[in-house]
Formats: sequence, structure tokens, C-alpha cells
Amino acid sequence: MTAQPGVDPTDGADVIDLLLAQHARIEELFRMVAASEGESRQHAWDELTRLLAVHETAEEEIVHPLARGSIDGGADVVDARLDEEREAKELLKGLVDDGPQTPDFDARFAALRTAVLEHATREERYEFVQLRAAHPPERLANLARAVRMAEAVAPTRPHPGVESATANLMLGPPVAIVDRVRDAIRTAMRD
Amino acid sequence: MTFNPLVEKGIPLDRQLRNWRELDVEPLDPDAVDPYTRCRVIVMNGIEIESIMFSHHMARTCPDPEVKRQLAYTRYIEAQQQKVVNWLLPPIASTLETTIAYEQVAVDLTAWIARMEPDPYLKQAYEFGVLEDFDHLYRYANLFEMIERRKARKVVDDLTEVMPGRPTTVHHRHPYDNVRDPYDRNTVDPLSKLHALTVMSAEQQTMNFYMNVGPQYMEPIARQLYVEIGMIEQEHVTHYESLVDPGETWWERLVNHEYNEVYLYHSFMTQEPDPKVKAIWELHLNMELAQLQAACDLMRRFDGREPEEVLAPQLPVPVTFEPNKEYLRHLLGTQIDLTTLGAGYVREAHERFERLQEQIHGDEKPASERVIDMHRERFGGEYRIETEGPHPVESLRRPEDGDR
Repeated sequence: MTAQPGVDPTDGADVIDLLLAQHARIEELFRMVAASEGESRQHAWDELTRLLAVHETAEEEIVHPLARGSIDGGADVVDARLDEEREAKELLKGLVDDGPQTPDFDARFAALRTAVLEHATREERYEFVQLRAAHPPERLANLARAVRMAEAVAPTRPHPGVESATANLMLGPPVAIVDRVRDAIRTAMRD
Repeated sequence: MTFNPLVEKGIPLDRQLRNWRELDVEPLDPDAVDPYTRCRVIVMNGIEIESIMFSHHMARTCPDPEVKRQLAYTRYIEAQQQKVVNWLLPPIASTLETTIAYEQVAVDLTAWIARMEPDPYLKQAYEFGVLEDFDHLYRYANLFEMIERRKARKVVDDLTEVMPGRPTTVHHRHPYDNVRDPYDRNTVDPLSKLHALTVMSAEQQTMNFYMNVGPQYMEPIARQLYVEIGMIEQEHVTHYESLVDPGETWWERLVNHEYNEVYLYHSFMTQEPDPKVKAIWELHLNMELAQLQAACDLMRRFDGREPEEVLAPQLPVPVTFEPNKEYLRHLLGTQIDLTTLGAGYVREAHERFERLQEQIHGDEKPASERVIDMHRERFGGEYRIETEGPHPVESLRRPEDGDR
């Protein structure tokens, strides 16, 4: 619809662009989970949980430390974001443990969605804008590489035809993803 | 159903004041909201703001301290109404998301009013204007994906198509050519007065919004696009406000404002699916009824006329938010190359138009063109929502339309 086949719309994107694209995909997946049921809901839910794990890890490893040291009031801004992330993670963990078939899934899912989307809006307003102002484009572009490495370690869109149970087995639960993503980012940042 | 606003009593004025708790409304959930609910909120915000500003201007020319106090009281209530309405907008939506919703309002509200307008000259004014807001929606949608990585479908759903209209670059006309001829207040259908006031208020709020939020962006292309489209919204306010008969008295205009608010709250109450929002439309309708009675009393006292002489005999068909895709496609196919000359419309680019175009553009492409170029460059194409097939104007189809 938007992009032509063969054109990667994230070419030339910096670290903020990639995180914005992830926010957009996260919003979409929340909508998909809410609007679907059965197997397609499970697929959307699996992708959402993987993406959240990759995304929050990337932010904690790359963007928050950068913001802490470089934007006005960085420590307070980042601490507030980390508190929000902790709250969302607890909600997420409970839901991952119980799965989308659990009876009170809808209400807990709504709470998770609110927590995640409000957190994302605060990042975009109080952190991303300031980072763009504080750093030269090349620096932010270079950091994109670490986010790409994180995405590569835990692909969030399984190949078509791969059943979600299999994909889960291959990728492991979110906690394992987080460890692998963190290692990949730290390696990328050292290079 | 017979609902006669001149007979209904509503909530007495002295019981309309609300405390902080009552003003603290729960905002809409942007991911669950009906896009047209958000459109209704944006319209009513623009309507309330016009009422407030109209009342301020009236008060500034009013020598009678008693009337001034009465206007001040009603205006305070209207300021509360504006807060309640506009604070329904979701806090997690970005400015650009709200901008896209504003353009959806401009498209589907103006298109609906154009369809319903009985006077051919006024209808032409709406048909002319809507193709420009339609194009703004497309430009902002491309900006949205570029700088926020979101798709405009998230805001407009598939209710409103997103594709080129009359290109924004040619909306920059000589100001003389933005002044229309007014309707005649004595012979015009009263419905036409409500239409003109509604569209003018909506465009005025869009102008105010862009002129204030535009500088919040860091990205040069975003700042520049808000400058460019902000200038056009001011042209649109000139275009629509000049449709209104300048001979209407202050009292008559006050009555028209209050009646229009009753009309719109009533319209939106009848179609609102969100129960919390519906309750607000209903409450405000009941407040407006008493405000209308007070305005009618002022008109009787100071104009020596009965409000019935200037108002519709009954409430017109409710203003409705609904898709206008076929109508817009028809307009795109027949009116895309129009511009204005004096108070009329022509297809030829005339001298005054071309001179202003040269002055404003110089040798540069404006932001409205560059935003599409940049999007094509970064995303390999442009952002559109074409639910009803390829663009009706062949030259505005995408090269890749063949394989969609």
C-alpha cells in the first residue's frame, strides 16, 4: 500500500525512526489482538509480546542511557520512563504466563495497552524530541544499527507458514529473548 | 419527531455553571474511538470557540452594561462548554494525529453541507473549498508517516479516502479573489445561514490550530507545511465568512449562533454511538436551548423583531458525519482545475493568480510538494487510501496503480 515491494522504508532511518516504527507496529498489534480471536489472535499476541521484549530492551540499552546523560533533566525523565516500563512489564508478564485464553484477559489486556501506549507517547514527547535536538544526525543514524541487530536476533514477524507454537519454541519466551537481544545490542555498541 | 428549539426550555441559565469535577471529562480512547465521534468533538470545539469570540466582539461594541454582563455570563458558560468538548480529545494522540482528524472534519463536514445546500452559489463555494481540504489531508498523511511512522488509516479508518485533491500549491490565490458574494439575509433559506456559520467556524478553528501548533515541530518540513497550509486556512476563513450577509444585526447574528449550536448538538446527539459523549451532547443541547431563549429575548427587545422572522420554521435535517467518497470523486473529476476570479470561478489561470503564485513560490517547490517527494524517496511511494479504486483523475494516479 505504502511502500513499493523491494523498498525498505527504514533505509536511512535513525534510531528514533526505528523506535517510532516499532511504536506504530505495537499500536497496530494491540488493535489486531483486540479485534481477532482464536489462532489469529494468538499469532498477533505472540508477535506483540516478542516485539515488546525487543523494543523495551533496545530502549533500555540504547536510548534511555543516552537521554540520561544528554537531555535537560535527563535522569528524572528516564527514571519516570523506567517506572512506566516496570509497570507495563508486570502486566505483560502476568498475561504471557496466563495466555490469551485466560478468562479476564480482555480487562488486563486493556490495562496493558493503556500503560504501553501512554508510556510510548511520553517517550515521544519528553525524550525522543529532545534527543533529536541534542545529537547530530550521524550519531543517531549510527545507533540505528544496534536496534537492527536487536530485531535480527529476535525476528518479530515469523515467516508465513510457521505455526506460532513452533515459533515460540524457536524463539523462547520473552525473558530469553530479552537476554539475547541485550547481548546483541551490547556487542553492536562495542563495535 | 417535532423538536422546536423556540419552544423547548432547557436548563435555566443560572443552573448551567459547572464545578471543576464536572469539567473534568474522561478523554476518548484513540484506538477505540469512532473516527466520526472525534470529528464531532472537533466541530463542536470550533463552534464553541466561534461563539466565545463572537460574544467578545459583540461585547466590545455594546454600550449597555446590563447586556454586557449578560453576554459575559453566557460566554463564561460557553467557555466551560468548550473545555468539556475539547478535553475529550485523547492526550496520547499527537498533534499531527489531531491535525489529520481536523482535515477529516473539513472533508466530510464540508462535503455533506455541499450536498445539502439549497443555494447553487453557496453550494459551489463548499464544493470548491472541500477539494482543497481533501488535498491537505493527503499532504499531512504523508508527513505523518514520514515523521511519526504512523499511517493515517489509524485516524480516518477507511471512512475518508486519502489521495490528491486540487494541489495545495495552487491554493495560494490573490486575497481579492477569496472574497465571495454574500447571501441575502431576507431571501436566503435559513438553512443556508447555518451551513455558512458552521463551515466558517470549523475552518476558523483549523486556522487557529495550525497557527499555534505549527512551530512545535522540530522537523523543517513539518514546520514549513504548517506555515503553508496555515496560510490557506486563513484564505478559507475569508472565503466562507464573506458568504454571510454583512447586513445582519448583532442581535440577529447572536440568535443565529445560538440556534446553530442547538442545531448541531441536536444533530450529533441523534447519531452519537458513544454513550458518554452522547450524554455531553444532550446536556449541552439543553444548555443551549436556554441560551437561545435569552438571545431571542435580546433580539425582540433591541431589534423589535421576532426571531421566527430569521430562523427556520423547524430544525433542519441533522448534520451527519458519513462517508462522502462518491461525491468527492465526482467533484475531483469535474472541479479539480477551478480557481477563483473576483467572486466567481474560472478554469483558466488568470494574471492576478499567476502573479501571486510567482511571488509566493519564487523558484522553489512549496512544502506541500516536497513532503510528497520526500515520502516517495524514503518509502518508495506515497501514502494514500484509495478504497474505491484508482484516482478519478488519470494524471493523479500513481505509477504503481497497475499492480495494486
